[in-house]
Amino acid sequence: MLLSYPNPQGRYDELFAAPGRPREPWSKLYSELTLASVSDIGAMRAAAERQIRDSGVTYNVYADPKGQDRPWDLDVLPLIIDTHEWSQIESGIRQRAWLLNAILGDIYGPQELLREGLIPAPLVYGHSSFLRPACKAQVPGKTHLHVYAADLARSPDGRWWVMADRTQAASGAGYALENRLIVSRTFPHLYRDLRIQHLARFFATMRDSLLHYAPKGDGAPLVVLLTPGPYNETYFEHTLLSRYLGFPLVEGGDLTVRDGKVWLKTIGGLRRVHAIMRRQDGSYCDPLELRSDSALGVAGLTDCARRGSVLIANALGSGVLESGTLLGFLPRIAERLLGQELQMPSIGTWWCGEPAALADALKRVDRLVFKPADPANNFDVIFGHDLDAKGLAEFKKRLEARPEAFVAQELVHVSQAPVLSRNAELLVEPRGVGLRVFAVATPAGYMVMPGGLTRVASSASARVVTMQRGGGSKDTWVMSPGQVDASFTLLRTTVTPADLVRAPAGLPSRLAENLYWLGRYQERCDDMARLLRQTLGLKLQDSDDEENAQQPLEELARQTGLIGDDEDVEQALLTATLSQEEPGSLPVNLKSLQQVAFHLRERMSLDNWRVLNNVLQDIPDSDVQEVSTALEWLDMVTLRLMTLSGFALDGMTRDNAWRFMSIGRRLERLVFQCAALQCAFLHDGTAGLTWLLRLSDSAVTYRARYMVSPEWLPVLDLIVVDASNPRSVLFQAKGVLGYLEVLQKEYGPCGAELLREHVRFLTDMDRGRHLNPESEELRNTISGLRNAALQLNDRLTQRFFNVGQARTWSSLRV
Amino acid sequence: MTADSLRYRVVHETGYKYSSLVTSSRQIAHLSPRETSWQKVVSHQLDIRPASIERNVSIDYFGNYMISLFVDEPHHALTVRAESEVIVSRYAPSPDAASPPWEESLAVKGEWGPGTDLEVESYRIPSPAVPLLASARAYAAPSFTPGRPWLAALLDLTQRIRKEFVYDPKATTISTSVEEVLELKRGVCQDYAHLMLSCLRTLGIPARYVSGYVLNRSRADGTKLTGADASHAWVCAHCPTLGWVAFDPTNGKIADVEFITLGWGREFRDVSPLRGVVLGTASQLLSVAVSVTPIPEPASVASA
Repeated sequence: MLLSYPNPQGRYDELFAAPGRPREPWSKLYSELTLASVSDIGAMRAAAERQIRDSGVTYNVYADPKGQDRPWDLDVLPLIIDTHEWSQIESGIRQRAWLLNAILGDIYGPQELLREGLIPAPLVYGHSSFLRPACKAQVPGKTHLHVYAADLARSPDGRWWVMADRTQAASGAGYALENRLIVSRTFPHLYRDLRIQHLARFFATMRDSLLHYAPKGDGAPLVVLLTPGPYNETYFEHTLLSRYLGFPLVEGGDLTVRDGKVWLKTIGGLRRVHAIMRRQDGSYCDPLELRSDSALGVAGLTDCARRGSVLIANALGSGVLESGTLLGFLPRIAERLLGQELQMPSIGTWWCGEPAALADALKRVDRLVFKPADPANNFDVIFGHDLDAKGLAEFKKRLEARPEAFVAQELVHVSQAPVLSRNAELLVEPRGVGLRVFAVATPAGYMVMPGGLTRVASSASARVVTMQRGGGSKDTWVMSPGQVDASFTLLRTTVTPADLVRAPAGLPSRLAENLYWLGRYQERCDDMARLLRQTLGLKLQDSDDEENAQQPLEELARQTGLIGDDEDVEQALLTATLSQEEPGSLPVNLKSLQQVAFHLRERMSLDNWRVLNNVLQDIPDSDVQEVSTALEWLDMVTLRLMTLSGFALDGMTRDNAWRFMSIGRRLERLVFQCAALQCAFLHDGTAGLTWLLRLSDSAVTYRARYMVSPEWLPVLDLIVVDASNPRSVLFQAKGVLGYLEVLQKEYGPCGAELLREHVRFLTDMDRGRHLNPESEELRNTISGLRNAALQLNDRLTQRFFNVGQARTWSSLRV
Repeated sequence: MTADSLRYRVVHETGYKYSSLVTSSRQIAHLSPRETSWQKVVSHQLDIRPASIERNVSIDYFGNYMISLFVDEPHHALTVRAESEVIVSRYAPSPDAASPPWEESLAVKGEWGPGTDLEVESYRIPSPAVPLLASARAYAAPSFTPGRPWLAALLDLTQRIRKEFVYDPKATTISTSVEEVLELKRGVCQDYAHLMLSCLRTLGIPARYVSGYVLNRSRADGTKLTGADASHAWVCAHCPTLGWVAFDPTNGKIADVEFITLGWGREFRDVSPLRGVVLGTASQLLSVAVSVTPIPEPASVASA
């Protein structure tokens, strides 16, 4: 089956030493592949894809018109590297990480390298990631660079080169871990027989080292993972690492600064944060001292960094090394700082701001690749040999005008490795590959992850290997010199009974608020859909006894903001059902629901998420004027919302997160039920009560219990005081009261007293006397509950959720 | 006006009124005058209302005083009042002082060796609001004829900007770019300063942005200096023989004893008098009042 695998032309082939002769580490995989049939290969691929889908591994591609989610692209054939070769890579990366950390220490400290001219000053001073406010910071353990990644590629002669350094907030380690889980299951025997080194120790070391370096005080050490949020392309990885390392996932708004320290806002108050693993660019981390347009930051964080009261990994400003401009200067700096030769060479790279480099680059544009000197100046990589005569002349002009904005890099023909082909006839075909390796700072020097993320070019002809352009990935297998330390298997099997976590410490406030609103919006949409369905339904029926129900239903639609005052009612109802623009309409509320849910994505199962994602699917065009079409759509929405509440009921543990969601849900329903009752009281006797039972989803129960047509006493009993009916007023009020009482035990008073009197009245009332629309006490209780719900909303917001949003102001221009 | 030094009292009051309640506020003030060889700070006081529960004085990257303040109580208005007394000595070279050809202040391309003057190199590079621009180079060109003495060339540029631009607070906002200012030919002192910085740095001459005040009084010739009722901004450029020399493009002159320096940086943002982050959803109304009063000097103050 490998007969059609082409010979490399001017490239190194990872699999074959010569045609038909596999390299030593690959021989076992090779024989397995030669024995495999077409259907075996297909099955392998399908199994891996299923696992990716099941665990919800995604990568967001900015340019993808379909937006957020792209399933992770993994080729199950691993890249295999033997022990000897790996030890060279490992040693080179350790040295390099050490060197880069020392350079950061100098740039953000005495700047001797600049003064001595070993680094041209403009390369640092002019770099958008050189953060002046981070200078002279008390960096814990003098370690700026905690997590480092290098992009490697292999040249035709078999040597590995560093193509780029990732010092800002390197992504990929989590994806490497996920790849390993899947691929080791695809080739279980091979994985064991080849004695492949495990990855778990790397992550354990990362966790322990951060805890080691973090400053102490104010309670148990807390490390958080700071994410820019679900819109980021590697958000999945943030959620994965957060869970794997046990670091709460937070956004800038979850943190605050007090007394020169960083704190996490939780529903139980502020909790000191000792270390922040950041996955957002340094310049976005503090709107006060860094980018003032950043909505992602924590005002005052830079000051905390200067005081050394919090460890930031990587330190603010570490991104200044992510520029090709420095590569050419590293050998001399290594000699100066380490007294050593640089072990792992960088690919030939020259900053064109140096006249000699510019002159040389101009002479051989066709053999070079040109990249921006500062990642902030985003332009596409320019391949010299792609330019025609006119393009060449134009580019040379551009280069000469602003030479300091460019780096010139040697064009490398990266090595090729086999991937399973999508073309059934080929089975296996070659693709260009690059290897991203990772290192983490420890008190004993840098530890390199034994493995890494192999990145695969998107097509046979692609020359740039990047995930952002839609390339794929592979697991990387590093063979072990001796026995594999199997005691350190992955976390999924190393949780001991003592480690079982019942409830995560301190639910972040933002999370609690989002859960609360998830509950409210979900219920609000459900109530709206039911109300619209009934009201519009009347338009299709001519039955006499239903006719008068229009009045209270329309009144309720007006009160809930679905329709305005003096409009054409049918038209208004259709708009409220279908318009995606009209404020207050059902689709607009469904969108709000999606938005809230989006920020809770890491807490949802993939199925749950899929339903939410598709909740607006198949919505009829809002020009449609047919009541029947609108009704079909409403049926669909009601069904989808029921599926969602099923997930909540079935899939969530009964912790505080669930309580906040349930409070939201029940408060919303309470308000709606009370409003419906008030409309019924208003139109007493003229409208019948069937509409009320239907709206409360209690018509079936009523018919089962009473053979008579709806009368006040049994109807009110069912939908007001029957605590076993999940639609009754008492059921909502009692439920909320119960949740508040649980929260109160942990966090002190939070509004339970607003409900207690009403619940007591509804429980103990003399039904004969009060269960009729004339009862003043009943009416007062219903309107009292409606008010209490509103007050409770404010109380919860004040007590538990974030108050407002930070805004940045700069003083007036002069 | 021949005094070698002048003594001033400066009061700079900034007020914010918010449309709704602000629960907390974190501010950074660059309102404390810098100590320099020509400027002595006799006294300085900074008050904030409501009172701050945290206050931290430090020196920023550029060597300026920076005061961080944190107000943690609900408020509808915030006032920051800085009062300083300073003595400024004459320090500028005379406009006809000798200076080398302007080209000598350019970096020697490609030669990075021991002894790089980082203070100078810090201000040779572009910054977010001061980009390197072909249009700025073209605008500066008539002043920078080959071999022209450094001081003459810079003073010529300073005076051309004053003559060719209209001081117009309505024409620009805080986000107007140098390119737009160059097209509009209008702006305020901050725009003038950024434009001149862009001209100089594009040519390769190190230059920094200075924030401060200018004396508010009629001069002997009856003219009043522009920018006197608010804080002011000008430019300071580096000459290999004269060192740092300050130019005020808004008034078309070398800045000297009439100018009180708060601090300097690459551009406005580095030394904006007050910047902050407030918690709340309010929109704000800002008012600024500055008064600069000369104080009769009782006795001569030692100055070099």
